[in-house]
Amino acid sequence: MINPGQHTLARLRGFIVPLALLSLAEIVYAMNDVHSEIIAPPHEVLRALSTIAMDGTLWNATMQTLAGAMAGLSIGFGLGLLLGAFLGISSFLDRLLFVSIEIVRALPSIAFIPIAMLIFGFGYRMELSIVAFATFWPTLLLTRSAVSSIEPRLLEVSRALGFGIRASIWKIVLPAALPRVFVALRLAASVALIVAVTVEVTANPLGLGYGLMSAQQSLQPATMLALLCWLAAVGWTLNSALLWTEKRLFGRMTSTDFTR
Amino acid sequence: MKAVRSLWIVPSIAVAVAFVLLWKYAVDARMVSPVFLPSPERTWAALQHGFAAGALQLKFLHTLERMFYGWICASIFGIAIGALIGSSSTIRSYLQPSLELLRPLPASAVIPIAIAFFGLSDGMVLATICFGALWPMLLATIHGFSSVEPRLYELSEALGMKRTAVVFKIVLPSALPDILAGMRLGMTVSLILTVVGEMLASRDGLGQWILLAGRSFRSPDLFAGLVLLAALGLSSSLLLIGLERWLLRWRTVH
Amino acid sequence: MTAPLTLDSANTTRSAPVEAPANADGVHTPLGTEPALFELRQATLTLAGRPILEKIDFVVRRKEFVSVVGSSGCGKTSLLRLMAGLARQTAGEVLYDGKPITRSHQDVAIVFQDYGKALLPWRTVTGNVALALEAMRVPKSEYRDRIGCVLELVGLAQHADKYPGQLSGGMQQRLQIARALAQEPKAILMDEPFGALDAMTRQSLQDEILTIVARTGATVFFVTHDLEEAIYLGDRVIVLRPNPGRIVRTFDVNLSRPRDQLRSREDGEFTRLRHELHTLFKELH
Repeated sequence: MINPGQHTLARLRGFIVPLALLSLAEIVYAMNDVHSEIIAPPHEVLRALSTIAMDGTLWNATMQTLAGAMAGLSIGFGLGLLLGAFLGISSFLDRLLFVSIEIVRALPSIAFIPIAMLIFGFGYRMELSIVAFATFWPTLLLTRSAVSSIEPRLLEVSRALGFGIRASIWKIVLPAALPRVFVALRLAASVALIVAVTVEVTANPLGLGYGLMSAQQSLQPATMLALLCWLAAVGWTLNSALLWTEKRLFGRMTSTDFTR
Repeated sequence: MKAVRSLWIVPSIAVAVAFVLLWKYAVDARMVSPVFLPSPERTWAALQHGFAAGALQLKFLHTLERMFYGWICASIFGIAIGALIGSSSTIRSYLQPSLELLRPLPASAVIPIAIAFFGLSDGMVLATICFGALWPMLLATIHGFSSVEPRLYELSEALGMKRTAVVFKIVLPSALPDILAGMRLGMTVSLILTVVGEMLASRDGLGQWILLAGRSFRSPDLFAGLVLLAALGLSSSLLLIGLERWLLRWRTVH
Repeated sequence: MTAPLTLDSANTTRSAPVEAPANADGVHTPLGTEPALFELRQATLTLAGRPILEKIDFVVRRKEFVSVVGSSGCGKTSLLRLMAGLARQTAGEVLYDGKPITRSHQDVAIVFQDYGKALLPWRTVTGNVALALEAMRVPKSEYRDRIGCVLELVGLAQHADKYPGQLSGGMQQRLQIARALAQEPKAILMDEPFGALDAMTRQSLQDEILTIVARTGATVFFVTHDLEEAIYLGDRVIVLRPNPGRIVRTFDVNLSRPRDQLRSREDGEFTRLRHELHTLFKELH
């Protein structure tokens, strides 16, 4: 029904609204000719972006944020995967731990900032511990449901073949659950970035989040907005790269979902 | 079946209690420094003390209030805008790409902008919560509105239903599962952003309480705050799950 | 019921004027004498440059039961959608009650094939039937009686408070029929309504639909891919062929009513028609 021409047209439509908003901002700014400490016009944001890109602060901050997010993600995702797989296999264990998990999961991850500060002080370790806590739960839940929804016949096959629990995890459970586990990884990765930035905004003097805060405090709206745009681009790239990998690896096996 | 499943709650609670005992044992045995991890008794005492002084329940209520207002605000905007975008494929083709670009942006990243506009005020906290919690609801509503079974539109046409009747009798109910899931996610985001906002803007609430307790090494007070936050998160999500079960009871019957 | 028809002079398919009034108890009246309810003249449908239906000509008379058969992709569902006002022909005319169809009519009910998608899962059996009454702006005080009546008719009275998810496929399709009946339609358009059901359920629903039609005097346009079902139910069987959809032939079914799953299917007329249709279909492929 839809021919390729229409498709490109529909794609172009997506640019109209943002371009119109940016031009409007530019025009309003030019007409009023005021210097604001709150907001800056697009061309100044662009200039600020190129400045911080040239002097290296942008790359430093990006690397710090990504390092904190990815280190935390690898711990949180790894542990979540492990426990999730166990709970998915053993409904007995799952039911026993149900209440404990629900209680601890209800805690907003950010509430651990004060404890992490007590234990680790400022720095990477504090940031990654909170990211690890935050990514642990979505991984756990998604892995659990991925594993528990494996065709029971496959587990019977594994039992008939006399596999032990470790062998059946490696040979049957993980491969069968892999597509959905990858979805868990994608969601956990976006959680990791969100939490890392939040920790930086709230407390940790590191990375893009801290850059945003200090730009605001030193009344440099152009730099602040440049960092915000950059952050959106980083988040989008991370998400798109994982989506692309997911499609390449599993094709039609995974479903698209709209959740964060 | 249902009775058997709900019976499992008893051993499950017992396991949770066992974890608390383990916590107590670990602290008593000095396996962890009490500076970081107070014993359950001292946490309990801190809770009692806080409530007796009247400070803690006030902070709890402030946090609850902020979270609730921010969430309601986000629900209204998110669902209304989502319904508008979701019901027209033309509007969707104009806005969806921008939304996709903004979606992975951490909500906390807009805090500096909110501070720039509102200062370190309650308004800034509310704006942040509202903005952050809006996304899951907006996206879920768009999804729900745009994925109504086309057969039902044909049915409404064949029955000669009015446009408003189609929205209220067909589109809204079929988008409801998505909307409710979005609202649940939005509630989690609200609580997180409430705590962040209180920490940053020093607004009276549990977020500020745990931050101050942490800074002055009062770990029992810190843990008392965590217990209350967990209670808040748990009860709000249980409430929403209950509401969801009731509203979507047609899904669970067999 | 029989409003004066304003058929233009081009309509010559009706040879005799209306004479026999509608017989309320469903006793057989000569159908050739009833006025046309649907009329298609050179109706053509093209979708995205692809011809779907080409120059379709036929008439469905009041109280007639017309079956349409054809292999998949012959445009039989598209034909039904034209008559339902859910699609517009690219050329030719589609008339309902003598007037061109520009929108769906409330006295034309549709029963979709995919019952699972055409029912509101969040409404009970009662609520699903009520949807039709709400659309027809029936006063609330009449709901109880009218819903009870149609549910009784399709045999769902015991399940009034269940949700569609709790019903079997056959019961869900009965619910769709009940909702259609609640519209008190002059015509019911059925799109392979029993296609997804098992043989036993299918047979009992065939008989139920015949009983209901005899009682209500509704006109039925019935799309199916099952030749025997088409003969068993219909007064006439229209055969379509694909690419693009055209009418190959129309068969009159001279089987007495009420029909019976055993007796009618063993009737010489039935076997003769089945033979002819089978031969025709073999020739088409």
